[in-house]
Amino acid sequence: MKKKLSIFPSILFFLILLSFFYLLISDRNPSKLPSTFIDKPVPIFKAKTLIDNKTFISTEEFGQETTLVNFFATWCKPCVEELVFLKKLASKNELKIIGVNYKDNSNKTVKWLKELGNPYSKILIDSNALIGIDWGVYGIPETFIVNSKGIIKYRLIGPITEKNYDEFYVKIKESEK
Amino acid sequence: MTKTLLSIIFIFILTHISPTITKAVDPDEFLQDPKLELRARKISKNIRCLVCQNQSIDESSAALAKDLRILIRNKIKGGYTNDEIYIFLTDRYGDFILLKPSFKFSTSALWSLPFIFLIFGIFVIFQHNKKSNKIIK
Repeated sequence: MKKKLSIFPSILFFLILLSFFYLLISDRNPSKLPSTFIDKPVPIFKAKTLIDNKTFISTEEFGQETTLVNFFATWCKPCVEELVFLKKLASKNELKIIGVNYKDNSNKTVKWLKELGNPYSKILIDSNALIGIDWGVYGIPETFIVNSKGIIKYRLIGPITEKNYDEFYVKIKESEK
Repeated sequence: MTKTLLSIIFIFILTHISPTITKAVDPDEFLQDPKLELRARKISKNIRCLVCQNQSIDESSAALAKDLRILIRNKIKGGYTNDEIYIFLTDRYGDFILLKPSFKFSTSALWSLPFIFLIFGIFVIFQHNKKSNKIIK
C-alpha cells in the first residue's frame, strides 16, 4: 500500500506533463478563438449600405438563402488576396455575399472594388467597428457562413485562400444539412 | 556597487514605472464623471485584449482594445450595470474575454483544480514526513 502511495504522485505528475505536451504539439491555435455564435441566429443590427446608401435591417436579410458575411477593409492585405476566391464563390450563383466594410474609408472602398471587382450583393458600413463587435470579430478578414434558416454555421478566421478554399466550400454545403 | 545600484533602479523603472507610462487609454476617451470613469477602468482591467491576449484592454494599444474601451464607456453612459456589460461582451466573445472568469460549471475545473492540487500536495508532503519520521525513529 505504501509503495502504491509513492508511485501515485509520480504517475499523476507525468500525466499532467503529458497533457501539457499534448496541448503544445496538437493543432490547437490559441490565436483562433471559437465563435460563441455557432448554431445561433445572426445578431440583430441595422447598418447603412455603401454605394446605394440604404438602411440594412438584419432581420429582413437573413433566413432566405445561404449567406456569407465577410468582414473586410481596403487596408487589410489578406483581404485583397481573398477577393479572388469571394468572386469565384459569387460566380457560382449559389449564395449571397454580404460584405462588412470594417473601419474604412467609403470612397476608397468604392474605388478599390471598381478596380478589383465586387463580389458582394450588399456592403455595410462599419466605421466604428460596432457591427464587428456584435459578431464577435477581433481581426479581419473573417467570414461567417449563415444558412438559409439564418443560423451561423461556421466562422473562418483569416482569409479564404487557395489552400482552404475547397474545405471552405464543403463547409458552405454542409451548412444546409 | 554603483553599477548594481543602477541596475536595480533600472529594473525598478522597467517593472514599476513604465507600465503606467504606457497606459493605452487616450485622454479623449475619459468620461467626465470620475466615478463612471473609475467603473470603466475597473471593467477594462478585467477584459482581455483579443489581439494581444496577455494584456487587458486597459493596457493594450490595439485598435480593437480602443473600440472596446469606447463601447464600455458608452454602455456605462447608457445606464448599463457592470454585470450587463460583462454579459454583453461574453455573449459575443465567450468567457475567454474575461481575465478573471466567473465561477460556473464550465469554469469549475479552472477554479477548483489549484485547490485540489494544493490539498494533494499537502497530503503528499504529510505522508513523506510521516515516512521519514518513522525511518529516523
